[in-house]
This record gives sequence, structure tokens and C-alpha cells, in this order.
Amino acid sequence: MEIATQSQALAGLRVLEYGHMVSAAYATKLLADLGADVIKVEPPSGGDRARQRGPFPRGVSDPDCSGLFLYLNTNKRGLTLDISQARGHALLRRLAERADLFVHNLPPPLMDRYGVHYEELAAGNPRLVMVSITPFGLDGPYRDYAATDLVLWNAGGVAYLNGAPEADDLPPLKAFGHQAEYQGALTAAVASLGALFGRLRTGRGQHVVVSIQEAVAAILEMTFEYWPYMHVIASRLGRRPIQPLAFLELRDGWIFACCVEEHQWQGFVELMGNPEWARLELFENRLARGENGDALTLFLQEWAKEQSVMEVYRTAQQRRIPFAPVSTMGDLLNSEHLRARGFFAVLAHPEVDGGITVPGAPYQLSRTPWAIRRPAPRLGEHTEEILTRDLGLPPAEIDALREDHVL
Amino acid sequence: MSSSAPPATSPPLAGIRVADFTWVWAGPFCTLQLAHLGAEVIRVESANRICVTRLLPPWPDGQPGINRSGYFNQYNQGKLSVALDFNRPEALAVAKDLVAHSDVVCDNFAAGVMDRLGLGYEQLRRVKPDIIMISMSGYGATGPEREFVSYGPAQVPLSGMSSLTGYAGWPPMHVGVSYGDPTAGLHGAVAVLAALLHRARTGEGQFIDLSQLETTVAVLGEGILEQVFTGQPPPRCGNRDPQMAPHGVFPCAGEQRWVALAARDDDDWRRLAAAMGMPELAADPRFASLAARKANETALEALIAEWTRTKRAEDVVALLQRAGVPAFVSMANRDLAEDAHLNQNGFFVRLEHPEVGTKLHVGVPWRMSDTPCTVQRPAPCLGQHTEEVLSRILGYSADRIAELKRAQALT
Repeated sequence: MEIATQSQALAGLRVLEYGHMVSAAYATKLLADLGADVIKVEPPSGGDRARQRGPFPRGVSDPDCSGLFLYLNTNKRGLTLDISQARGHALLRRLAERADLFVHNLPPPLMDRYGVHYEELAAGNPRLVMVSITPFGLDGPYRDYAATDLVLWNAGGVAYLNGAPEADDLPPLKAFGHQAEYQGALTAAVASLGALFGRLRTGRGQHVVVSIQEAVAAILEMTFEYWPYMHVIASRLGRRPIQPLAFLELRDGWIFACCVEEHQWQGFVELMGNPEWARLELFENRLARGENGDALTLFLQEWAKEQSVMEVYRTAQQRRIPFAPVSTMGDLLNSEHLRARGFFAVLAHPEVDGGITVPGAPYQLSRTPWAIRRPAPRLGEHTEEILTRDLGLPPAEIDALREDHVL
Repeated sequence: MSSSAPPATSPPLAGIRVADFTWVWAGPFCTLQLAHLGAEVIRVESANRICVTRLLPPWPDGQPGINRSGYFNQYNQGKLSVALDFNRPEALAVAKDLVAHSDVVCDNFAAGVMDRLGLGYEQLRRVKPDIIMISMSGYGATGPEREFVSYGPAQVPLSGMSSLTGYAGWPPMHVGVSYGDPTAGLHGAVAVLAALLHRARTGEGQFIDLSQLETTVAVLGEGILEQVFTGQPPPRCGNRDPQMAPHGVFPCAGEQRWVALAARDDDDWRRLAAAMGMPELAADPRFASLAARKANETALEALIAEWTRTKRAEDVVALLQRAGVPAFVSMANRDLAEDAHLNQNGFFVRLEHPEVGTKLHVGVPWRMSDTPCTVQRPAPCLGQHTEEVLSRILGYSADRIAELKRAQALT
């Protein structure tokens, strides 16, 4: 693809990543898609665990075809390196010497075991910014705790806020996917670019530590403050104070009915053809509707079952009522609006004719375009190129490293 | 950037000024990141169009007040507030003047609103040619639905997140917060920082069009890809995971106490079974492999729930973490506020606020070794810094400020 890298916002930025799954990979993907040159280091045995995760084309597992990996590693070059061996670690140091930024998500016990420490990696490059994305930080009693995305989503407090409000025997419910890791990734990208901007002034790199637990606890909307301000424990249970804010099942899918302001409710009543029941005292204002939410939902659901999602959505929006369809993945892929904005991108892939459609630019920068310059690397695809061209290793040395399974 | 160089240990964005026209959550969460990084963020507000979060609880003692909301005070820490009534032409001139003295402009109105106010990018670049402006609308600045109305709770279903989230066999669900807002806010901060780095290299500003919808779809990549590869979306499956079992949130002793735990592989499962005092379960043919545990997951979950139900969540976590099994309490707000680890790591902020006193707030979710980032001041009262900003930054005389006040432009 012929995108002039120079025209991108982060052109010339050299980034090194050692990551499994989502957090480090998405943080550096954000930078790579804006023009940074990202080298992704993977262990030779199987690589990034996202390669095993899928989803896979035709459901057939293949480390070079995992959808999660292909999505998270666009625009990167890939190198395999066993950093648990001394010579592998030495090569990691050499790569760090020529990098502006090193992002990793090794948990603290593995940082210790592999010797991934800022002082050491920055010894030959004091301008290095190193970002450690950790479950719980590098200090404190939970430093070495084991974690998964589910565990961190709960540790940060969002899970406790979600679930069926009426069924207190059902557990707090996670959001789809790896959202704790995504929040850690975004926080790490913000801190990375912030530290790089600060370096313009100081001339020095530094070590930045991100705690995913903290990144999740930072997005609790108004609920965290209910404790310090009112000594109220916020949970998913109980009714919403105002209605309708409800999922309704229509004949061809689901819609989210959302009326916050009175004029929105009045518009919705008109849209439904001014039914008698809407004039009941039970529903006279948003607090009354909240109080009588169960009855309201019965009436609304009765009306809804004959309706079509797109028709109700568009009619409501014409009246400035903020309804939204409960979009399926197919709806998004077929959305005229997203197509008109050129949102989805297509990655070339040898195994998939016509390429693979993935979410594209999350923002459009008018002068410095977001762009896919290359698809995600196959395992070890650029090992030789990086060692030869970037590090200047002679072929004999590369052969020896291969023989000893360092690569 | 301001003329005098900040000291070496100042936070990384010291000297960068942000004219912040945002409201509700998405936009303020973007500028909160910039404030955390040390930028001088100046909220432009109005008593005639008060930020929604100033009007929502929680309030101390349940007493409302536009400066008393914990919601507003959380996401506007470290910022200044200027009150300007945009119905007055004098106020618009002040806003433009503020932009002329700023590096970044941020808004999260629906597409077109800033243009109609006379504060669109084309208008603002005339007063500040290298300005970086980000508009964080619900649907983006282009496309057939660009003027659609977008509220936080509706963004979660719109983005596809709700269709993938829920208990097996249940309707689509929310995720517990208006998730599109912080996700958009963080993406927005990434874009602004990249644009600042570009400006430092080239001197060029630019306009950033961010769609809250698109930033949320961006964190659903594997859902989109499953549809692309198989023609089907991933099913709603509660807390379960296709490649780990057990993987869930289990009831503990007490009112609404829960523990989240997961076995990443067979080793974790063996350790978990041993920690439960039932090591024989590891070799039980119903549970000996991932495939077997997935096939018998309901029975597996029932066994675990039976074990956790009589124990304190904290005790389960301590026991399992000692065994190396991922586990944590499903934390409520009170658990977080009182958590020894988070307190010891300095995560929380305790600053004196003129109307609510000293309340605990969530702080900066990263640590920098060389240029530490801390919250420097509590969230502002509405218009608290109007005079200061007009005089210190814009260089207005006392007479001119008095004149603007008489014209009722500063409310």
C-alpha cells in the first residue's frame, strides 16, 4: 500500500512491543496506525497468545490467521526472540537502544524473571520511554497477583455495576471481549504519548507504570463517588430512576428506547400513535414512569412487537429522540453511515480472498491520516529483516541464534 | 506553549493550554487525561447551559448544588472554569480570544453545533492557525446520520456492545456504565497527543473528527471478526469464555458479595481444585481437560459456587492467589475506596473543595518516574476562574472585565 509514512502524525517514532493478548498490542496498534514503526517481539514458541485465540477463518486454528491477533497488530513488523535466554535478552536490549518507546505487558513476576527492568534497558539509551502495563501496578500487596481480563474487570469495579437489576441471584456480569485490557491499552497509549511529549522538553526518557485495575476504576461514571459523597454502595440492583431507558424486542431485532427529557417522551408517544394508556397518571412524568417501570415496559413491549427496528430508529431520530438500535455485528458491517465514513478497513491476507474486514480509523486527523500500511506480521515474518537491516547483525550470527533457538 | 520554560520535573504537558468546550462525560474524560498530564485545561461553561453532570447526584447530604456533584467533581479535577454566556456576542469574542491563546480545543457537541456558534475549526484557525481541534460527536462529523442525537446509555447498544453482552439466553444488556464515553474520551486524548507531537515536528495544527460510535466499535474487534469469518456474531454467554473454564463470578458469604475467578489452563484448574480441598476433581473425567470442563461447565460452576458460598470473598481471593490462581473480589465502590493496595499506591486524591470539603476521588491511573503526574486542584466551581483567566491569560484590564460583566457576558 502506498501511504507516505512521512505524512502521518507519528512518522519516525520507533516503538518496541513485547505483548500477549490485548493491552500492549492495542496500545502500540494505536501508534502504528498513526505512522509509528512498531517492532513486535514474540516468544518463538507459539508467539503472542492472541495467535491462539481466534476467531479463525472457517473455524480452523492457525497462528497466522487469528482474528484477534490480525486486528491488534496491523502495521507492525514481527520478530521472534526468546528473552529468557541471555542472548535473546541482549538482543532485546539492543532493540531498546534504538527505540523511543518500549511497551510491554509482562506481569511483574515475569519482569523479574526475564530481567525486564527500566534501568537495564535504558542503560544504553537514556531517552527510552518504557511503559509497563500491569494488572495491579509495580507496588503494593497485589503486585504479584495473577489476573485475567474477567478478574481485572471485577477488580476495577465495573462488573459489580452490571447484570440483571431484578435477579439478585445472578452474578455481576462482564462486558463482551477484553474490555479491562482495552482500557489498560488506551490508558497506556495516553501515558506513552504524554511521556514522549514531555521528553521534547526534558530530553530524558522514563519508566511509566499502568495498573489495569486503576484504569478500570477510573471509568465508574458517577458510581464511585456515591461512597465518599453519600455513603451509598452502588450496585446493579434496583430500578432506574427514570424511564423509558429500556431494551424492547421488535419484530426484527432489538431497540433501546431512551427518553430523558419530557419532550422526547412526548415525541415517542406521538410516534406510537398517542395510545390511551400513555395518558395514565402512572406515566405522567419521567420519575413516575421510573416508579412504574414494570407496567410501562409491558405497554411498550406490546406496541413494540409489531414494529421494525430501522423504522422506529429513524422516525425517533427525526423527532430528536435519542433511540438507538441494538446493533448486531452484521448491522454495523452493513451500516450505510459507517460505509459513507469509510470506517471499516480491509486487511490483505493470503488465506482469505478479498481480504479481512476490521474496524478502521477510530478518529480522522485532517492532515495526518490514519492508515493501514501493512497487515499484521506472520510469526517471525521480519526476524531476519530486523536483525540484518535494523541491528546490522551478520548472517552467520543470525544462523547461530536460530540454531540455538534464540529466535 | 507559554514563553517561560517550565521546570524539568513539571508534568509532561506543562505549558500546553486546552480550551475545553466539552460537557457530560466523554469530552470531559478526554480533557481530564490532558489535565492529568499537566496541561492547563480551561472549561468554558455557562450558567444558562449547565453541564448535565453538575445537575446529577451524588451530592453530600443529598443536597443538590451545581458545585456539589461528585460526578462533575470526579471528571473535572485539575481544570479551571470560565463562565461565558454564548447568547452574548461579547462572550463569543472572549471564547475566540481564549482559543487564540490555546493549543487545543475540545468539544463533544453533535456535529455542526460549534460551527453554528461561530466556533468551528475553519473559524478558529483564523484566530490561531496551528490550533488542534477535536470534535467528539456521537456519530462523527460526516455521514448520513451525523446529526442524530446520541446519549451515553444509547451508545452502548448502538455500538454493538449490548448485542454481545448478557447472560446466556437473556436479552441484550448494558455494561454498567455509559461505556462509549470513556472509550471515546481516551481515544480522543490519544489523537490529541499525536497531533501535538506532529505540531511539535512540523508546526501544523489540524482538525480531528472523532465518532463515539466508531471508538466503541474499535474495542469490539473480535466480535466483528467472528461475524466476518463465520457469518455469525459470538453468542451472549454471561461471564464464560470459549477458552477458559471455570471462568466466572461466584457468590460468597454476605449480602451481594462475589468473587471472580478463572482457570487459564489445566495447571490453574489443578491448583484451584487442590485449593478447594478437592484435588480429586482435577482428574475427574468430567473436568480433566478444557473440552471436558466446557462440556460440563454448569456442573463445574455449581461445585465452585457451593464451595465459595460459605466463605468471605476476601478469603477466597487470598487462598487462590496463594495457589497462583487468578481471582479477585468483585469490587463495589466502597471496597475500592477502602482498599489497602490502592490507597498504599497513592491512587486516590484528597483535596479541599470550597463547597464539598475533602472528598475521596479517583486519581491518575499511571505513574511516571521522571515527570510525576498528580491532580493539582479539585474540580472548579462554575465560573470560579473567569476573572483570573481573563486577566492573567487574555491580558484584559479590570475595566474591560467590568464592562463584560455589565453586558452579562460572564455568567
